[in-house]
Amino acid sequence: MSRQELLSPEGLRVDGRRANELRRISCRASVLNSADGSSYYEQGNTKVLVAVYGPREPRSKALAQHDQATINVEFNVAPFSTSERRKRSKGDKRLLEVASFVKQTFEGAIQTTVYPRSQIDIYIHLLQHDGGTLETCINAATLALVDAGISMVDYVCACTAGFIDQKPVLDLNFVEESSIETPDLTVAILPRSGNIALLQMESRLHSSKLDEVLELAMEGCKHIHQKLDQAVLAAAGDLATKLSR
Amino acid sequence: MASLILSPAEQDYIIRGVESGFRADGRGSLDRREVSLRTGMISQANGSARCRIGNLGVGTDVLVGVKAEVNSWTPGEPEDLGSIVCNVECSPSAAQEFEGRGAEEINVELTQLLDRILNGPQSGLDLKKLCIIPKQAYWVLHIDALVLDVKGSIVDTLVWATRAALMSTSLPRVVVETIGDEMGNMQAEFDVVDDPEDLTPLEGAENLPISVTFSQIGKRYVVDASEQEEVVTQAKLTVAVSPVMEICAIQKGGMFRGFPPSLLAEILEIAQRIAREELTRFDVHYAQAKSHLSSQADEPSTGSTFLVQF
Repeated sequence: MSRQELLSPEGLRVDGRRANELRRISCRASVLNSADGSSYYEQGNTKVLVAVYGPREPRSKALAQHDQATINVEFNVAPFSTSERRKRSKGDKRLLEVASFVKQTFEGAIQTTVYPRSQIDIYIHLLQHDGGTLETCINAATLALVDAGISMVDYVCACTAGFIDQKPVLDLNFVEESSIETPDLTVAILPRSGNIALLQMESRLHSSKLDEVLELAMEGCKHIHQKLDQAVLAAAGDLATKLSR
Repeated sequence: MASLILSPAEQDYIIRGVESGFRADGRGSLDRREVSLRTGMISQANGSARCRIGNLGVGTDVLVGVKAEVNSWTPGEPEDLGSIVCNVECSPSAAQEFEGRGAEEINVELTQLLDRILNGPQSGLDLKKLCIIPKQAYWVLHIDALVLDVKGSIVDTLVWATRAALMSTSLPRVVVETIGDEMGNMQAEFDVVDDPEDLTPLEGAENLPISVTFSQIGKRYVVDASEQEEVVTQAKLTVAVSPVMEICAIQKGGMFRGFPPSLLAEILEIAQRIAREELTRFDVHYAQAKSHLSSQADEPSTGSTFLVQF
């Protein structure tokens, strides 16, 4: 079987993007009314819905920590999200892995010491899957946390990058991601300081190329930061008009 | 949900209100809340809908995706029928106790109820039409519902959303060819046309029933109970009624008390009247959802219900 051409001779990718191009991003905060914070985030065909509750009383006393808040993340993939229907059980390792990555990432970004003896719940729903699950989950969760008014040191913006035909490419979609030869690097940064909150790579990449790929991914994170910022401003503006009415 | 705690005074207020024909939110005992309905937000599904029942933007919120798959026939299954598989999942965003495995019980209860309404001749769908080649291949419609928020009347919202999702469902065209081999045996083969434009709408979806849930509170009953009213509900009765006024499914739930039979007869009669009104209301909302979708047809994003105010 011949390898699928991921980068055409003209430098275009399977979905017509250039190598350093992000997919189209649309997002909105406050999409669910009963949650303390919520967001809907779309990057290309990947669609994520996040609800944030808290800080609130922990569900069990054992979860309460005397000096900081406990962060609880639940990740759920809708059975209709993939092109072939697939129902995943709650204990699916891949789901738990994503949830634990999101949890670890936000433990560093949320000022947990401000809310001792409480719990912050982040519920993530993947409604449609087209690659870049972790990056979209983190970006959507950031937006929902900001919407919930939970104090954080900074936004957390995540982006993926890969390396195809000797060229670094930004924001891999499902087709590119599933090709075994393509290294898949997910990075999340705190954009103001530029510090890396999460770094994960699959497959292999020559060490001399890592810098190039990482830099491209971080460039993508900065663009996503602008998008998230716009969504936050839009939500705040919306709230302001409602209050002044 | 159960997480809502009402004081005895609040409970008494609701019960005595209902008994004298008033409800806490100003509705009459047979009035329903506002409905918001949108379709077609999940492009990877064959049909999808989101429905919210509740006033002022707060209410029970359900997202349904329908996915059609071709299954090969195995002995023991009906020879010339397609099938419908329901699955309801309550998200922890609806209530904290749904976290982890906490929602399993209610998921099973709702899945079975939806299955009872949809799977069989009572649904109005012609399952024979979902058969591709008898004893060889058939369509399976996977109906997956995601309950995002619970604020009373979960079953009715679920049925509204499922009905809209099935009405918006279209299946790819299937070409069946009969080829004879050298022995003279005729063999049927099929091919699913892989063209996103070449789709046929699901037949018979407009015959699907609609459900009306009655909650017994004190000596009277109400329709479309709110979250607070469900706390003091003694018994619940869900009646599914088809557009031709057949009763398609009945389920009595609630843990406190039984219905007296005289009340049952009264309720069944009212259920048919309300179902007729609800079906008219459904058609209006569905037409609105359709026109909203076509007005957005040139936009690449289909997550419309989440990106704009719903």
